Amino acid sequence: MMTAPIVWKSSARRLPASEVRRGAIQIVDATKFYGSGASRVLAVDRCSLDVRAGEIFVIVGPSGCGKTTLLNAIAGFHELDGGTIHLDGKLLCGPRQRARLGSDRVVVFQNGALFPWKTILDNVAFGPIVQGTLRRADALAKAGQMLADAGLRGYERSYPGETSSGVKRRVEIVRALMNRPAVLLLDEPFRALDALTKSVMHEALLAIHARNRGTALFITHDVEEAVFLGGRVAVMTSRPCRLKKILDVDIPYPRARSIVTSKRFRDLVAETTSVVHEEALKAHALGEKEG
Amino acid sequence: MVAHATATDAVGRASKLVWPQRPRAWSAGRAQRRAVVAYVVALLIWQLGSTSPRWLGYPLPWISHVPTPGSVAVAWARLVSDPGYWRSWGASFVRVLVGFSAAVVTGVPLGLLMALSRPVRAVVFPVFELLRPIPPLAWVPAAIIFWPTQELSIDFVIFIGAFYTMVLNALGGADGIDPRLIQVARSMGASRWNIFHRLVLRAVVPSILVGMEVGIGITWEVVVAAEMISGGGSGTSTASGGGLGFFIWNSYVGGSYPQIVVGMASIGIAGFLSSAALRLAAARFTRWTAAR
Amino acid sequence: MGPDAAESDVESARDVLRAILPFQSLSAEALEALAHAAEEGAAAPGQTIYDVSAPATYLYVVVRGTVRLERPAPPDGVHAARAVGAREVFGWHAMREGSAGAELAKAAGAVSLVRIDTRFVLEVLAREPNGGAATIEALLVALSTPAERRAKRAEHEPHRRRRPAPQRALSALGSYVVSVLRRPETYGRLLGYVLLFGGWYLAVDVLALPRFTKLPGIVQVGREWLSPDPVFGLSIHTSVYYDHIWASVRRIAIAFALATSLGVPVGLALGASTTFRDYVFPIFELLRPIPILAWVPLAIVVFSGSETPIVFLTFLASFFATALNTRLGARSVEPHYILAARCLGASPWQAFWHVIVPGSLPYVLTGLQISVGVAWFSLAAAEMVSGQFGLGYLINTSYTMVQYPTIVIGMLTLGFVGFLTSAIVRFIGERMMVWRARELALTAP
Repeated sequence: MMTAPIVWKSSARRLPASEVRRGAIQIVDATKFYGSGASRVLAVDRCSLDVRAGEIFVIVGPSGCGKTTLLNAIAGFHELDGGTIHLDGKLLCGPRQRARLGSDRVVVFQNGALFPWKTILDNVAFGPIVQGTLRRADALAKAGQMLADAGLRGYERSYPGETSSGVKRRVEIVRALMNRPAVLLLDEPFRALDALTKSVMHEALLAIHARNRGTALFITHDVEEAVFLGGRVAVMTSRPCRLKKILDVDIPYPRARSIVTSKRFRDLVAETTSVVHEEALKAHALGEKEG
Repeated sequence: MVAHATATDAVGRASKLVWPQRPRAWSAGRAQRRAVVAYVVALLIWQLGSTSPRWLGYPLPWISHVPTPGSVAVAWARLVSDPGYWRSWGASFVRVLVGFSAAVVTGVPLGLLMALSRPVRAVVFPVFELLRPIPPLAWVPAAIIFWPTQELSIDFVIFIGAFYTMVLNALGGADGIDPRLIQVARSMGASRWNIFHRLVLRAVVPSILVGMEVGIGITWEVVVAAEMISGGGSGTSTASGGGLGFFIWNSYVGGSYPQIVVGMASIGIAGFLSSAALRLAAARFTRWTAAR
Repeated sequence: MGPDAAESDVESARDVLRAILPFQSLSAEALEALAHAAEEGAAAPGQTIYDVSAPATYLYVVVRGTVRLERPAPPDGVHAARAVGAREVFGWHAMREGSAGAELAKAAGAVSLVRIDTRFVLEVLAREPNGGAATIEALLVALSTPAERRAKRAEHEPHRRRRPAPQRALSALGSYVVSVLRRPETYGRLLGYVLLFGGWYLAVDVLALPRFTKLPGIVQVGREWLSPDPVFGLSIHTSVYYDHIWASVRRIAIAFALATSLGVPVGLALGASTTFRDYVFPIFELLRPIPILAWVPLAIVVFSGSETPIVFLTFLASFFATALNTRLGARSVEPHYILAARCLGASPWQAFWHVIVPGSLPYVLTGLQISVGVAWFSLAAAEMVSGQFGLGYLINTSYTMVQYPTIVIGMLTLGFVGFLTSAIVRFIGERMMVWRARELALTAP
């Protein structure tokens, strides 16, 4: 039975820009002690940082200076002894108050945390399945697609133990991104990889990040890696950790491998290295004193 | 090292992160408090269960047959002043010592030999694996037939029990040595004896010590069983049995049930003491070798 | 319709698109673009959205309500119809070129819809970094008919002829035997056995060494074992032999099953939950040092009958071994796996189930192997002390009745059956841990 035809209206409209990017982090006066009583050690000393939504923010510094502490506090693995952290304007954690563990801030671990007893596909689909946001069949299909998009087609049925570390790292990043996190927390994820695999990973990460629209907080020792990936690079002091200097990497995205030879890149690397080196010497002296 | 401490602190124990956090103010000593609660509850269940005919009116299945805590305490108080009880302790301990030492002294060299020499391993290990599944206690009758005295047959069975463990642990420890270490030592000009003496023995000691802890547990199991079987279960009523296992069996046969529980607890304590003594000796030994 | 309502339609359209295969992996900009190009409309109940004869150019998303899709009567007379509800997409045939007149779409109730021109969809997909290749391919798969899909699968996997199963098994066995014969260790093993049995033969039968004369010789045992009319009434031909074996095996099976089904959960709880551990472990550690055989008299007193005490003792030994090893396994699961799971949104229980349980499996299986061994140990002892039937009982009574060859038969049978059960447990364990086997295969020297 034919009735009057349906009227279709165009819905073209501009959406507020801020909605598009998520993951702005504000760390104010973060303080953390390790140990207790007389042997208490101040690891982070009133450190303040501002991470803009949608950027790749890289933190470099000598080992043991407390960079991982900040990341762990954001992720909710431990609490701060002082200071606050806000995410997208909302309070994430305060003093003595641990942030809730959640999939809006997903960590990619240094030594890899792919579940060895699940296939790659099951690993990637894990987040949506346990949260119930997708049905199992849908989650697996979406996982398969995201893997294919990341260039990892064919690995779905393998177990992590059977694959190379480069593949494992990429899978872990894809697994994190399945949940569309506001913040991707990467704790020296490429540390254990060889130089060739690392450069592949860098480009993969940049490509993936461009699509995700969230923020990435990346911790590393490698200054070249930091400048190549980061929109801004923060250099931390040796223990106790404080913000020493923030460098703006004004090389536009998308970045190709070829910028590594450009003058601007090399200048930035040299500048960052000298700042880091200063702190590294201090840390070394400290370590020697403690034997 | 601070870096290590950071990672460990930050990541924390698995159990605490699976289950939600609790305020940490009163957690010190919490484990001990809960243990006390657990013991009290267990004691209560024992008391109520064993006396259930009296207060409940009808006996609860199984637990009502257990002697009451009170009767056990009374029996134990009486036994403490009985020299025969302490003689049983002595008899069992002697057997444990003899059998266990024999197992260590023969088992460790054999294990090391198998690890170091391929032909020996190829010939001996299959035979070893063939005989290992036979439970030590199954050897009791054969041992009684073979050995002149009953004491020796019990010691033999005990020896068998711990022997397999010592061999496997020595073998496993030696196998686990990184072959690269041996290559490095060789390239630095160390003689075979030197390599064996400094490298292999040093690396194998932890496994051997673990094996000894496991082995002594097995030894106590076998001692008790062997004493029960040869002293009581087989029907021969020779008083030369002695030992705590025989004591338990005798208490059962004689109808003094609270003494059974006393015997069980005594053996438990004896086994615990042996393990603790071994652990202490092991700690002392490793500190001593580390210092050299 | 005010601006807010319209904007929410676009947002819900975007959400719907995002939740629908194959648009999930599209970038945020692509989804934005699609959402902006969308047009909204509403249909009254019974209103036709598109007709069979209409050209197919739009993809439709149902925001609210239900739409009924009907295919024109196919030749075989089956009238196919289906309904699509909220957050579902229809009109896919518009994505395939040159297809029209597939179906009739009619609103089943009051419906609110969003539609997008498929040419625009394809354009957006083409602009995606990978050319949206994966998405397009997924679309084509979704759009193909079952027959097409089967044809495609067939061309990818040519049909292989497989030999019948028995033939395959035989050839596998053959190659295994050959490989065993090639290894030098096999000959060492044979030498070892020859030395053992030969030594036994020499010591007892030939040389008649002093203490050994009392033992039964290998010839005597062998003859007794294999004889159809054994002197002492027990050989492989007599049924009483198998009665004893079955009695022992049955007890082991029951005790092991009980110990595993109780021990694994208890072990996991001890490892994963501090509360459980604090309350239960003290009692556990209090009872564990007591040798299993020390429980025999108490077990006889407490449990009625002759079977229950034996099964209880075997169970107890197994239980401690299983629970302890499982606990070790749960505690040895590396914390970063648990943190990763929690980060990905798993609740504590989900983390337990998906991480701790599979992660502790290797230890659990080692524990089960130890548990089987311990079970046999306790069973043999328990049977020797009390009870009827069983291999331990056989050994004991053969001794008291001075039937020495039967003792040895009993011992060897016990060893063999024990070994068999261990091997079964290990085999099952390795099948369950495919991932570990594959991992180890890669790292093996």
